[in-house]
Amino acid sequence: MSDRTGAGDRPVRRVVVVGGGSAGWIAACRLAASAGRTGGDVAVTLVESRNVPTIGVGEGTWPTMRNTLAKIGITETDFIRSCDAAFKQGARFVGWTDGTPGDAYYHPLNPPAGATEIDMAPHWLHGREKGAGDFADWVDYQAMLCDAGLAPKSIVMPEYAGHANYAYHLDAGKFATLLRDHGVGVLGVEHVLGDVATPRMTDHGDIAALELADGRVVEGDFFVDCTGFAALLIGGVYEVPFRRCGDILFADRAMALQLPYESEDDAITCHTVATAQDAGWIWDIGLWTRRGIGHVYSSAHISDDAAEAALRRYAGPGGDALNVRRITIDAGHRTRFWQNNCVAVGLSAGFIEPLEASALMLIETSMDAIADRLPRTRAAMDVMARQFNATFTHHWMRIIEFLKLHYVLTRRTDTEFWRDNVAAASIPDGLRERLELWRHHSPGPQDFDHAREVFSWPSYQYILHGMGFASAYPRVDPASPDAATAQRFAARNARAKDELRARAPRHRDVLRAIREHGLQRV
Amino acid sequence: MTGPVPLCPTAHAALRYDRHAAGATRRFVRIGLSELAFAAADMPLCLAKDGQTGRFNLIALMALVEPANLFVFGGGFQATYVPRAALLGGFRLHDGGVEGLAIDPADPTLGETGEPLFEQGAPTPLPGRIRTALTEVIADMQAAQALVDRYAALRLIRSLPLSLQLAGGGEHDLAGLYTIDEAAMRALPDAALIALHRADALAPAAVMAASLAQTERLRQLHNARFAPAVDRVTLG
Repeated sequence: MSDRTGAGDRPVRRVVVVGGGSAGWIAACRLAASAGRTGGDVAVTLVESRNVPTIGVGEGTWPTMRNTLAKIGITETDFIRSCDAAFKQGARFVGWTDGTPGDAYYHPLNPPAGATEIDMAPHWLHGREKGAGDFADWVDYQAMLCDAGLAPKSIVMPEYAGHANYAYHLDAGKFATLLRDHGVGVLGVEHVLGDVATPRMTDHGDIAALELADGRVVEGDFFVDCTGFAALLIGGVYEVPFRRCGDILFADRAMALQLPYESEDDAITCHTVATAQDAGWIWDIGLWTRRGIGHVYSSAHISDDAAEAALRRYAGPGGDALNVRRITIDAGHRTRFWQNNCVAVGLSAGFIEPLEASALMLIETSMDAIADRLPRTRAAMDVMARQFNATFTHHWMRIIEFLKLHYVLTRRTDTEFWRDNVAAASIPDGLRERLELWRHHSPGPQDFDHAREVFSWPSYQYILHGMGFASAYPRVDPASPDAATAQRFAARNARAKDELRARAPRHRDVLRAIREHGLQRV
Repeated sequence: MTGPVPLCPTAHAALRYDRHAAGATRRFVRIGLSELAFAAADMPLCLAKDGQTGRFNLIALMALVEPANLFVFGGGFQATYVPRAALLGGFRLHDGGVEGLAIDPADPTLGETGEPLFEQGAPTPLPGRIRTALTEVIADMQAAQALVDRYAALRLIRSLPLSLQLAGGGEHDLAGLYTIDEAAMRALPDAALIALHRADALAPAAVMAASLAQTERLRQLHNARFAPAVDRVTLG
């Protein structure tokens, strides 16, 4: 094989992360922790501008964050205390199906009961006339926990473990600070404050070093571009094209505000609430100290002023004096994420509306692929790059399709925004094909190309059945062994609901106990 | 179920305290530091997390499968040592009650038999003695808590899987128990071990670890009264 880089077997010993938001510090911590764990001699440097504020998007995580924090070596107690974090058990979508009062469904983080043994969907579908109720409630107990404001774990449970699957809501600014302190103080990340002025390139197109505005030079073998929308390396140096998806997902603006609780004992919602609006939707997340709410909307369908008025109506009088923060969403992603010896992670790789909180998850998934398999030599990098680019192009396509799923299943016709969202031209071919298939067969693992999909069949089932997707699955013989198995899991789920309703603690009570006493480590 | 109520000379004028009924419904009981060696003569001593704080408490295990104290039968507590928290389980400190006490009316020690708490409307010496004992046992539990916190800080605590094989093929697991991690203890640097020894924290760890053999005693007590029998106790 020819060595087009000319770098041969030069070892990768110096990794430079550029940018210091959540993406940059997750990347630096994962790389440094991985190097420390394997005894490698990789040095990690993070270059951060004093003059560029972090965007701070992504205040909702996936359950993957528990693994990420554990790998980095941050305790759950420290994380919850430092980031004002609260637990998240999924999302409740309000008003997405037809917009009538009571229109709401859950996408919980637990998979359906018996997911490794049986597909419950056909059994639920044919059991509805016998009172099976909502799909999420019939196949799992997490919707009950969310409705009742109960936590997914208790104070006696180990770190990062619970009686239900869970993720977090967090303060993104405080999260970056925690990661920085841990990265520098514990993991030995070198923190360089300075503005990147000029990249120094090798004859073969690799980045050799970054010259800072004050003349200092930071050399590296591998560069991680976490410079946010600026995309200084992947865009500025390599000019990798950006593939927009505004024709599929129309949201191009967001405005956010931080709403304090009225009293310090107010219930903290244990899931994200996504409430449909005339031209978008409003997120509502609960942290320890405040709620974070924001309006994601299409500027082609509503004016900024009208969008702000809708957000303030939602917030109520408590938000009247608060300033809104505005964010532009250029929805899409790079056509390649890894070029030469540079990989883009975070907003430099792409950005999309936060309907399923994919921003931090994509950073973590990227770093799982990079940090745990860091190329030992420059020669190995091109193979890794090809794998990475193929995987993440696939992930982005699937994420876009999955977000679009929430819009195409609507029966709302009350505004142009919702009518435009079901226009055939806006629906990706892959999604359209699968929807046709899923009219007759419940989503299953065989419907997806990759073994590890970011959104797999349980998520599709929750959305499809939550929104009342018209399906005609083959009738199940109630005397069949499968029907008995399904009933057994449904009964087990009903028992779990009763038990947890009685013993699971209130969300705020557990957070208070963790903040006060900490989770004991063994 | 009612909670503790302040001890009152009128409402509780006829109430009596029967120490022989102590702990009948308890599956485990918290113990103080000074009780450790005594309780180890009868019971497995382990750690369990407090439901409010998540901190590890030092406990004596007194049940296996059935929700009953295996040491309480034949009209008394059949052990060489009765943990004080079991004896005093019917009482709490409370500024609004006689002798600074409140009572839990549901506790089996309180009823129509035993020593009187009041005579002719006045407290007998018993409430005062109970108040003193309760104060002492709380201080003793705090000393145990400090010891256990020290173990926790040094990561010397591990989960204790306890599995019971039942006659007839069934299995029953006791969850939520912890014990001293002897391997972690052995791996401590010399200086840390000496510091534990100087703080009188090594011997209690050895007693706790050794006391786990008392699970066999619990098995025998269970099999004498309940079916199905426990064929084997497996400690992980």
